[in-house]
Amino acid sequence: MNALVWLAGILLVLMVIVGGKSGARSFFSLFLNFGVIFFTMFFMLDPSANPILITFIASTLIGCISLFYINEVNSKTTIAFISTMITIVIVLSFIVFVSQKLMIQGFGEEEEEAIAGLSLYIGVNFMKIGASVIIMSTIGAIMDVAISIASTMHEVCRHNPAISRKELFKTGISIGRDILGTDTNTLFFAFFGGYLALLIWFKDLEYSIGEIINSKIFSSEMILILCAGMGIALVIPIASWINANYLVRRREKS
Amino acid sequence: MNKIRNATTMQWMIFSILALCCITTLIFVNHNYSFYDRPIAEVVDTTMEEAIDVTDLHGNEDTLFIQNITAVLKNSEEKGQQIHLNNKYSTSGAYDQQYRIGNELFVSIDSKTDGDLAGTITDVKRDKYVLVVAWIFIFTLILVGHKQGLLAIASFVINVLLLSFALDIYVNYSNVSLLLVCGICILLFTAISLLLVSGFNEKTYAAIAATLIATAASLSVTALVIWLTSGNGLRYEEMQFLTRPYHTVFMAGLFIGSLGAIMDVAITMSSSIFALYERDRDISIKALRASGIGIGKDIMGTITSILFFAYISGSIPMLILYLKNASPVGFALSMNLSLELARALAGGIGIVLTIPIGLYTAIFFIERKRARV
Repeated sequence: MNALVWLAGILLVLMVIVGGKSGARSFFSLFLNFGVIFFTMFFMLDPSANPILITFIASTLIGCISLFYINEVNSKTTIAFISTMITIVIVLSFIVFVSQKLMIQGFGEEEEEAIAGLSLYIGVNFMKIGASVIIMSTIGAIMDVAISIASTMHEVCRHNPAISRKELFKTGISIGRDILGTDTNTLFFAFFGGYLALLIWFKDLEYSIGEIINSKIFSSEMILILCAGMGIALVIPIASWINANYLVRRREKS
Repeated sequence: MNKIRNATTMQWMIFSILALCCITTLIFVNHNYSFYDRPIAEVVDTTMEEAIDVTDLHGNEDTLFIQNITAVLKNSEEKGQQIHLNNKYSTSGAYDQQYRIGNELFVSIDSKTDGDLAGTITDVKRDKYVLVVAWIFIFTLILVGHKQGLLAIASFVINVLLLSFALDIYVNYSNVSLLLVCGICILLFTAISLLLVSGFNEKTYAAIAATLIATAASLSVTALVIWLTSGNGLRYEEMQFLTRPYHTVFMAGLFIGSLGAIMDVAITMSSSIFALYERDRDISIKALRASGIGIGKDIMGTITSILFFAYISGSIPMLILYLKNASPVGFALSMNLSLELARALAGGIGIVLTIPIGLYTAIFFIERKRARV
């Protein structure tokens, strides 16, 4: 039997045991998200399509699945969705600018063996695909922060209806700060784990620090980690501000 | 009042130290040519030689450009002299790129005919921009996160140094096993990261214990599955950068990779359970268990999807390259995704296992505390 099928089966069973119905729903949403990534990739195969635009559409879909399907459509998830999208637009434009300067698109010389024998002149824009990859890697964490801030701020506002806009905003920021450390940690370790082989390679071949920092593959990994961290940090004030404004306005209306 | 003033002085001090570091490193990295052994040249002029439309075996169309570049050497014996370089690049830019005036390149000097230097481009000098982005990252995290932001950066830096040191030991002593090195690393990573995030208290100790137990548990499950299926369906041949036995490197990477997520769940579980206990010291174990499972359900989906996105997205460029080279979809997917999927699934198993483990460890610590009082 295939090891992947087994692992997926075990994960499904565990999720159902621990989480019941919502566990099954989480597992199914992993599948849907996987499907979205898969289709995104197929659309990127067309040289005339703009990968950045495709990523933006894919992010919208992923946001809908993870926020509206897992939870439901309400003011919390809608605000979380809007703040995620705003953060993605900001981070995406930053990444496009940086990767143009850094020339980190495509494959590095360390990957030569893997791409040997493949035709590299395939007409798609690898610079933009690289930027999309960074956004897609971070979107899960950005949404996590956005939904945590939105639901806690709604709770705070419900328990404490007289709270001022400024106080609300501050609460949002402080919730965000608590998640900031653990979420950046989750991503850092995920990337470390994925690139353990590369780190051993650098050590084995005795790369100097200068060679490591300037190599395409290392600098693109660094940019991935740094942009992921920035995305998580940026969504905190954005989500807090939108939530604070919405909650105050809703109170004034009623 | 005094306390507030102290805090701001402290903040100002940290901020000025950071600003000073930022400026010095930026100046250094812009003038560090002499520290490199490899010759560096700055592009001063480019002319387009020709553009050729090409179609490959699989019918993909692309345009190749040939660029003539004049650059000035910034270091080595020939400093200040002009060098002539050629560059071939495509619009897709999978392995090449267009150079513009002002780019700094690593070059090798090939020939020298009466003062006229010719050479080839070996790489791009990227350190400047990596540093700029790193500083933007640091300032964003500190501006938004204040103390927590600073601690997140500190734990990142400490963990990187630790990992690098551990790998040095592994690479230099052939009789040290990678799994042992990573085991010790996981112990230290967990202790350092969690203590930095939530300080020295019971709640942190409970989270550390839960992380270690859960990591061991998910390690056994994954190792057992891979052993029982004899790695069927995992395409190790596509694992890159291999200088060592692939199986151990993969397993070690898998555990370091899911560690962050497991810690995230463990600390969330233990701090919420402890918060419930602090609010009501007489709360029943049954009530704690019920709320714990409720919290677990809420975070399970989001954290598994964080890992999923982080792992799966990275293989998109390689998949595109395969599919454009007319590989069958099934082959391309299993070659490029099997290991990433295994990582994501194993991480997911770790996350779900951490929920009950974290819950019961926290309850155990609370019971011990009650017994003591």
